Amino acid sequence: METTRPSSKYTVPFGLSLALCSVLNGFLVIAKEKSKAVSYCMQKLTGHHWITHVLIIFVAFLLFGFLFAGQNSSGSKMMLRKLTNIIVGGVVIGVLTIVGFYLIAD
Amino acid sequence: MKQIILMGHVFFGVLCILSTVWLFVDVLNAREENLGRIRWMSRFVSLLMWLAFGIGGYWYVVHYKLDKAVILKGPWPFSHNFFMESKEHFVIPLLLLATYLPMTVSRNLAFDKDARRLTLWIAALVALLALFAEGNGAMIAMGVKVALQAQPH
Repeated sequence: METTRPSSKYTVPFGLSLALCSVLNGFLVIAKEKSKAVSYCMQKLTGHHWITHVLIIFVAFLLFGFLFAGQNSSGSKMMLRKLTNIIVGGVVIGVLTIVGFYLIAD
Repeated sequence: MKQIILMGHVFFGVLCILSTVWLFVDVLNAREENLGRIRWMSRFVSLLMWLAFGIGGYWYVVHYKLDKAVILKGPWPFSHNFFMESKEHFVIPLLLLATYLPMTVSRNLAFDKDARRLTLWIAALVALLALFAEGNGAMIAMGVKVALQAQPH
């Protein structure tokens, strides 16, 4: 029986990073759509705004994940129940920001 | 070839949804005997999502311009303005969720209720967002179809 198998040391930090990056993704959509300068810069960086967008969010996900893992603070001791709520909240806010923006604001 | 690429995107997306539902049911019934399968399935879901995302992303960047022009001239411009615009951006957190999924199954899900709850929520979000993406894809394809049908012969 493997009852004492520990949680991956990345479960909590990358969970927090996921929630953070989902919200960040929503804000980046608004910034890109509302500012021609931001959109132009993102277009110029890789040749397509969407490629730049994906790269920014994925690099941020890795960066925050390893950063939180390296801090070894309260994050690693966070209860999984609380972590679940934070992730679900972050993803729902991020997705609703995008859908709401294109439905109403844009 | 262009259509094959697009169908590959849909194929891996649908397979990802089915695999995620499989994983969800397996986690609901987590026992010592199926923990190995749960871990492998979580990696498989992640791989399928990366394939669907990569192929879809390639198609969007290289081939979508023509479809976009057709849609915007047709009677359903919202197929692009809402469905494609929102899809191309909410699939990014979807990719992150699928990437994160294997990190949630390292604990013994048969005994750890909170770890099981976390995995169930991540799997549910992957399945729901992927289903939403499939629906958006259908609306984009329909936007092209109605635009072509509306053209004078």
